Amino acid sequence: MITFTLNGRKVETDAPATARLLDVIRDEYELIGTKEGCGEGECGACSVFVNNLLQNSCLIPIGSIEGADIITIEGIMESKQFKILDESYSHAGGVQCGYCIPGMVMASAALLSQNPNPSEAEIREGISGNLCRCTGYNMIVDAVSLAAKKGDGLWQKK
Amino acid sequence: MAEKIIAYRFNQLDQTLIQLNKENCAIIAGGTDVMVMYKSRRGVPPKIPKPIVFIDHLSELKQVYQNQKDLHIGACCTYSELLKNPLIPSPLKKAIRTIAAPAIRNRGTLGGNVCNASPAGDTLPLLYVYNAKLLLRSVHGDRIVAISDFIQGVRRIQREPNEILAEIILPSVVEEGAHVVFEKVGNRNADAIAKVGFAGYIRLNGAVIEDIRFTFGAVGPTMVRSIDIEKKLIGKNIPLTDSDKALVVAAFDKIIKPIDDQRSTAIYRKTVALNLLRHFLSMTQVQQK
Repeated sequence: MITFTLNGRKVETDAPATARLLDVIRDEYELIGTKEGCGEGECGACSVFVNNLLQNSCLIPIGSIEGADIITIEGIMESKQFKILDESYSHAGGVQCGYCIPGMVMASAALLSQNPNPSEAEIREGISGNLCRCTGYNMIVDAVSLAAKKGDGLWQKK
Repeated sequence: MAEKIIAYRFNQLDQTLIQLNKENCAIIAGGTDVMVMYKSRRGVPPKIPKPIVFIDHLSELKQVYQNQKDLHIGACCTYSELLKNPLIPSPLKKAIRTIAAPAIRNRGTLGGNVCNASPAGDTLPLLYVYNAKLLLRSVHGDRIVAISDFIQGVRRIQREPNEILAEIILPSVVEEGAHVVFEKVGNRNADAIAKVGFAGYIRLNGAVIEDIRFTFGAVGPTMVRSIDIEKKLIGKNIPLTDSDKALVVAAFDKIIKPIDDQRSTAIYRKTVALNLLRHFLSMTQVQQK
């Protein structure tokens, strides 16, 4: 039995140790905001926070996260930071098909919480593990930049 | 119903080593290579053909410290942890920044990069020019082996089943006034596996070369380094003469034997590798660090 914290709630799973965190959160806990794209750590659609660090849930065997604190896109949706990212992505036109967006928002939140005023190059580096096949990235970079400005001070502490 | 999978996650390294001494296991640190290698269908756990031992949480494998002039790096330090650590030399940080993207750097480990022994392992060219030594630990004690002896071929390493790679040691790295460069050529900056990797190391006394080392990655089954070629340059003056440079390039031309694959062609790889070498040899001024 593996015990961990999922979006602030203590949970237990009897999934086999090599089961991917991605499959466990989607199939067992029905948190389907986290997407599977490539399944190889290249696209970032499955990004979650593990102990506050951005990681690809498709590469994480559930057995290695005993006692860890996992936060998915659903776990940040009530936060002020999320509201700002939500508005900024809408305003900048950063969302088209939307499949990459949960991962993109997690990467954006991870970046801004470490670096509240990123340069364009730092934004591109921050989302470099997230593929988007619709927007061409410029609108997403604009969205993150806008979120940094709008959220002035909010990203400092997390 | 899924088959039963046996996995261990001990709180201490000692217990982990005892288990490894009893049973041949697959060791998982960050898992970023293993989980891809054994990837199955959606919803189906990867089938790893041995019991599993998780080691990424073991604090004994996460220390970074100086011992006299040597730098000891715990094998389970993630790339992100190393990027934040002031003891890590800047060329190694440069190599780490070229690895994948932030989310993988938060998970993948330096020890994993070594033990995965990929021909394109990003940190390997640099670890070779640093003459890195590996500290392997088992219930019977420690043993130290040079990285060039440890890595024997494509994903082939000289690790006994009861051993764990505990530390990567960079000898004399702390005070040595060497200039070290690292270059990686890939399709894009993030998430790209190297087409060619190159590391160069030079230590001067005035204009005289005291020590010089080169290693190429992704152009053969393992890293390409030649102590014989390096020796020919020791004692020479910087800038090197055109004939010395030509001699070295010609010598590597003979031993660099890349392949065509989905990432690149043999001819491209060889051309780029030799150009990186020429560029390094043409340095007329070396900043001592």
